[in-house]
Amino acid sequence: MSSVAEATIDRVGDGSAAPAPSYLDDGHSLRSWLTTHDHKRIAILYAISITVFFFIGGLAATLIRLELATPAGDLVSHDTYNKLFTAHGVIMVWLFLIPSIPSVFGNFLVPLMIGARDLAFPRLNLLSWYLYVLGGLIVLVALALGGVDTGWTFYAPYSTMFSNSWVAVTLVGVFVVGFSSILTGLNFIVTVHTLRAPGLGWFKLPLFVWAHYATSVILVLATPVLAITTLLVVAERLLQIGVFDPAHGGDPLLFQHLFWFYSHPAVYIMVLPAMGVVSEIVPCFARKRIFGYRFMAYAILGIASIGFLVWGHHMFVSGQSLAASLVFSLLSFLVAIPSAIKVFNWTATLYKGSIRFDAPMLYALGFIGLFTVGGLTGLFVASLALDVHLTDTYFVVAHFHYIMVGGSVMAFFGALHFWWPKATGRLYPEVWGRIAAVLIFVGFNLTFFPQFLLGMRGMPRRYHAYPAEFHQLHMASSAGAVVLALGYLLPLFYFSYSLRSACRAGANPFGALGIEWQTRSPPPTHNFDRTPVVPEHVYDYAPPGPRPTRAPAAGAKAS
Amino acid sequence: MKHACLRDHARALAVAWAALLALMLASLGSAYLRLGAGNAAVGLAIAVIKSAIVVWLFMRLRTSSATVRIVAATALATLLLLIGLASVDYATRPVEPAAYELPRQTPSLAGARPVQGAR
Amino acid sequence: MTAATAAAFVPADVAHDGRAAKLGMWIFLATELLFFGGLLVAYAYARTHWPEGFAIASRRTDVVLGTVNTGVLLTSSAVIAFAVACAEDPAQRRWTARALALTAVLGVVFLAVKGVEYAHEWREHLFPLAGFALADVAGAGLFFLLYFVMTGLHALHLLIGIAGVCVFAGATRIAKPWATAPRVEAMALYWHFVDVVWILLYPLLYLVERHA
Repeated sequence: MSSVAEATIDRVGDGSAAPAPSYLDDGHSLRSWLTTHDHKRIAILYAISITVFFFIGGLAATLIRLELATPAGDLVSHDTYNKLFTAHGVIMVWLFLIPSIPSVFGNFLVPLMIGARDLAFPRLNLLSWYLYVLGGLIVLVALALGGVDTGWTFYAPYSTMFSNSWVAVTLVGVFVVGFSSILTGLNFIVTVHTLRAPGLGWFKLPLFVWAHYATSVILVLATPVLAITTLLVVAERLLQIGVFDPAHGGDPLLFQHLFWFYSHPAVYIMVLPAMGVVSEIVPCFARKRIFGYRFMAYAILGIASIGFLVWGHHMFVSGQSLAASLVFSLLSFLVAIPSAIKVFNWTATLYKGSIRFDAPMLYALGFIGLFTVGGLTGLFVASLALDVHLTDTYFVVAHFHYIMVGGSVMAFFGALHFWWPKATGRLYPEVWGRIAAVLIFVGFNLTFFPQFLLGMRGMPRRYHAYPAEFHQLHMASSAGAVVLALGYLLPLFYFSYSLRSACRAGANPFGALGIEWQTRSPPPTHNFDRTPVVPEHVYDYAPPGPRPTRAPAAGAKAS
Repeated sequence: MKHACLRDHARALAVAWAALLALMLASLGSAYLRLGAGNAAVGLAIAVIKSAIVVWLFMRLRTSSATVRIVAATALATLLLLIGLASVDYATRPVEPAAYELPRQTPSLAGARPVQGAR
Repeated sequence: MTAATAAAFVPADVAHDGRAAKLGMWIFLATELLFFGGLLVAYAYARTHWPEGFAIASRRTDVVLGTVNTGVLLTSSAVIAFAVACAEDPAQRRWTARALALTAVLGVVFLAVKGVEYAHEWREHLFPLAGFALADVAGAGLFFLLYFVMTGLHALHLLIGIAGVCVFAGATRIAKPWATAPRVEAMALYWHFVDVVWILLYPLLYLVERHA
């Protein structure tokens, strides 16, 4: 397709030589994609795979909400329902949320943002993707064989002794995906330490990079504990003796300690990159420096560290000692502080900014509001006395969906819109982008806000049938899910459309700062034609002035 | 590393190696003494010292960059956190161990198994 | 660099940067520490709850072979540390290769001894399956479950280490350019870590209580 000759070295941009092809044009065969070392191509590979898993997990959610639209358990059997919410959880947590922003946007942007040519270990990056696909396929095989009914939390002794479903196969899949995460985290940490452009000190790094660094530390320290826990569960299932079986002197709570030691930091793996995305979008569309940059960076580190200290708050009613529960409750309150600092600072950034409501900004604003609701309700369930009433109800379900969907998924979509022009060289249709954002926001709230009320009134989670008194709220929630699904499907169409349209993006359609915007869209394989300029201050947006327009590139590239 | 320097380095390694073997034998010997709870403490303490020799000298943490040292320290701290904070539960929980049962017959190694009888 | 220049982009070159391989390996070892760490938590729980069972069960391990193996692995660590020192001097390349080869050999000796131990334990019905010899000792089953899982995972890691060290030994012997000193050091770091794990496992598994 490209008439530009393949360059073997980057060329000086003085017009005398043909520019190097973009990374998308640098080889068109399937083999060139499947054997690539280019972090940008690997990011695209991840983007395609996680989208597939997102829709599979979404299909499970659709069936769940369909079942819950009526009080009777009339759509699926209770057994199938258990398998549906397990599939939804396993796929959405491990195959979508955990890899989403880091493996797609982290992979694509971290080298660009620090002025590097690629990650520190490009081949390890490709291996990460293959491990992710392998693990995902194993999970799908388990699903096809009949699924798992333990819940994504796999509590012993049900998972180890009593479940008749494909626990071991699923856990092997999770184990493999875990190693994909670990290698990605390792790669990011080494990259940020060793490949920053000259002059790019730590406190000149974009908050997106800080967020991914902290996420990578969590990935590296927490995921191995999940790995050994899955091995122990599989061993106990196969050998009939294990450390989680009280009849042999073991303890089911030991499983929960080990599981949640990973799974609580895991939620910070899911939210910190989202916060990094929001910190990139808000200053750009408010045309203002981020408020309190250093505190934002410290807050990221604070969330990552304190996040390791709170796992017992998932175990308040499990039989954990009261003393331990008190400690974990207190620590859980503490982790709200750095999160709140970030929300305050985003708000302060907006104050007296020159705000543009482009699609990325709509998603970022949605994140700030919905994450705040999710975070505040987290305090509710962190209080011991309240949690006794609220645990295992829909209140908890609503709480974590506000953060993971209202937060992380919205930020994912915000990132998708913000960096779509950079990654593809095309502009998405702005009107449709805004429509989708509004649909998602409205649909999300209609789906999940009633669930807070359901939970407070006693509706338990993981039940496929319920008393008639909960019918109206469940109906509202299921109706909201329809709107939400429409909102999620819409981008599929207009993003695909944009790939075919003639409208090309320039290097910087949003007038954003950040080294990634200095290179063309899409970037060449080696990321930069010229040595990028390291700015004096990151986020040094000018005070309100003439607004940059979303104009296509003057002098479009030869097609 | 030049030849003379290499010889010195080899000598330092040999001394460390001898120390490690001596500590190993001390650990072995201490297990035969009647120390009660002290057995575990001594065994662990000696293991920690041996590990420190390997990590500090053999793995060259002594001359490594600050970044590497922070990585090592953070990993150790996280491990201690896991063990320590989980122990808060076990230390303060009133435990009544279930009556001990003989192990059951091992079932087939297929993914699905028949439901166990309720106990 | 604060002024825009027309200079062609020359990025940091990763391939020869020893710092990356060493840092990367240390981070990987951090993950391995937490991986084995989960087992340590299980061990700590089980031992504090079943101290007598653990003592009785631990006496059934072969302390002679276990001690010999510990010595073998400690020696291999010293040898590979020597190999790393030699690797920094290109003139000592043959010694580097020999030291690496000796390390691998010692690793194989360890695995062979471990195999002998496992064979003994199988014959004595110490695998916590049907027909477990200590079935009536509370906690003994947990001890041996943890013993086999911990030593088994350790042996698997050692096997991977042996394979890696063999590759480096061969590459160093024929002076392959990719087998640089920093990469040899990264390989050695992995080997030392496997040794450290065994240093911890030795008293936990063999020396719980040996007095009569």
